[in-house]
Amino acid sequence: MSLVDWVILLLRVLLPALIMPVFVIPLTWLERRGAAFIQDRPGPNRVGPLGLGQAIADMIKMFTKEAVMPASADRLLFLLAPAVAVFAALSTFAIVPYASTIEVGGRTIPIIGADLSIGILYLFAITSLSVYAIVLAGWASNDKFALMGGIRSSAQIISYELAMTTAAAGVVLAASSFRLPDIIAMQQGTWLGIIPRWNVFPQLLGFIVFFIAAFAETNRLPFDLPEAEPELVAGYHTEYSAMRFGAFQMAEYVNVMVASAVTTTLYFGGWSIPGFHPHGVVGAILSLLIFGAKTFLFVGVFIWVRWTLPRFRYDQLMKIGWKALLPLALLNLLWIAALSAWRLSR
Amino acid sequence: MSAGRLAFDAFALVAVVFAGLMVAGKDPIKSVLALVVSFFALAATYVMVLSPFIAGLQVIVYAGAILVLFLFVIMLLNVGREKPDGSRRPIQTVLGSLSVAVFATLLLGMLRGSGARLPPQAEAVGPEQLPDPAAIARLLFSDYLLHFEAVSVLLLAALVGAFVLARREEAP
Repeated sequence: MSLVDWVILLLRVLLPALIMPVFVIPLTWLERRGAAFIQDRPGPNRVGPLGLGQAIADMIKMFTKEAVMPASADRLLFLLAPAVAVFAALSTFAIVPYASTIEVGGRTIPIIGADLSIGILYLFAITSLSVYAIVLAGWASNDKFALMGGIRSSAQIISYELAMTTAAAGVVLAASSFRLPDIIAMQQGTWLGIIPRWNVFPQLLGFIVFFIAAFAETNRLPFDLPEAEPELVAGYHTEYSAMRFGAFQMAEYVNVMVASAVTTTLYFGGWSIPGFHPHGVVGAILSLLIFGAKTFLFVGVFIWVRWTLPRFRYDQLMKIGWKALLPLALLNLLWIAALSAWRLSR
Repeated sequence: MSAGRLAFDAFALVAVVFAGLMVAGKDPIKSVLALVVSFFALAATYVMVLSPFIAGLQVIVYAGAILVLFLFVIMLLNVGREKPDGSRRPIQTVLGSLSVAVFATLLLGMLRGSGARLPPQAEAVGPEQLPDPAAIARLLFSDYLLHFEAVSVLLLAALVGAFVLARREEAP
């Protein structure tokens, strides 16, 4: 491999991990302004134009505050937990193709961190790591509220991961591949000339289950039981302060973005829109913008829902996960299996 | 020794060391966490011998579901540190290490004797040329279909069993 190839490889690997934290900064601003808009108040509007500087001020505050650790905490695990949370969040985006492939100077450069043959399975594997961050934080803090948060989180994530993977299995079945580039490729073109061949149309049920489960997996309202303020102070990160708390916040926002990006890719054609055939660098930039716009839309829904719906009770959470989402996901899978079988028999 | 082989050995070592820590640990939570590390290292060795699909399943099923459940139960029951009850005799340590040594020798001899070798390494191919999971699916649903279905019936039986055990008796 020549030097250029190495540089391209390095960029491909590093970009998905490094770009995400950058977007977290405006996202925190967007969340607060979104909340303010929904609650009919101005929100942060003092630092810089439109209050945009608030996000940066918050970041400086996080980095310069004193980080307190409870005397009875388990030192190693207490410090490890936020690191695991950030690591898991940043490594998930690696398998999402975020623009069309570029062909430059005889090189074919796929715009994706790592085009693994197990694709979406890698995502679910790494997501399982993020549970440990929350459970560890809860346990290592040696605080009953934090522990309750950790216990809730483990039960919640197991319940919703099942529904989420079963819903995603419908997409995998339809594409007969785990790879996200293949899943985008199967969503090209239109039905009847107007409807895009996006998975969301045949698999509306799967999409709904997947997206609801994504709220639970990212611990966002209405499923933020692990940190439910009225009951648990701040749940698993009660004892965390300064940037250690900031790390959990960052992981949450990265997870929201990745969940939106994956939803876009699985059900809404990823970077593609019908009738658009990207060529070269300009095409890749356009496809990147399309991907960004679609992802941004779902991030907006995440924020919108957070400030609209109240939190579920814990028993309701379990009931929804096991008695509603899982059967619906299975129904979706059966329907897609029947559809695939019918297509094969023709 | 190639880089791929070196990585395989390193991950294998981590898996074995943390499995040992799991057994030796006094704190149940830390034992589970040691097992988590061990399972991740095991998954990494699978990747090094060109089986990314097995690696993915290993992490999703064991680290992602079963061990989270372990943690849940241990934290819910609030199982504390193991306390020495004074019944341990020095001879136990001697006999224990002796049996481990005998077992390890036997295992190594059997592996050597059967001509077991490491499968092809991932060092030659990039991460994007790793084998396709479709090959496993084809095998599962052709040559091993009966076994596959039998296992699913077994799991169903376990599910029904768990349901019967967990169901509360209705008051007469």
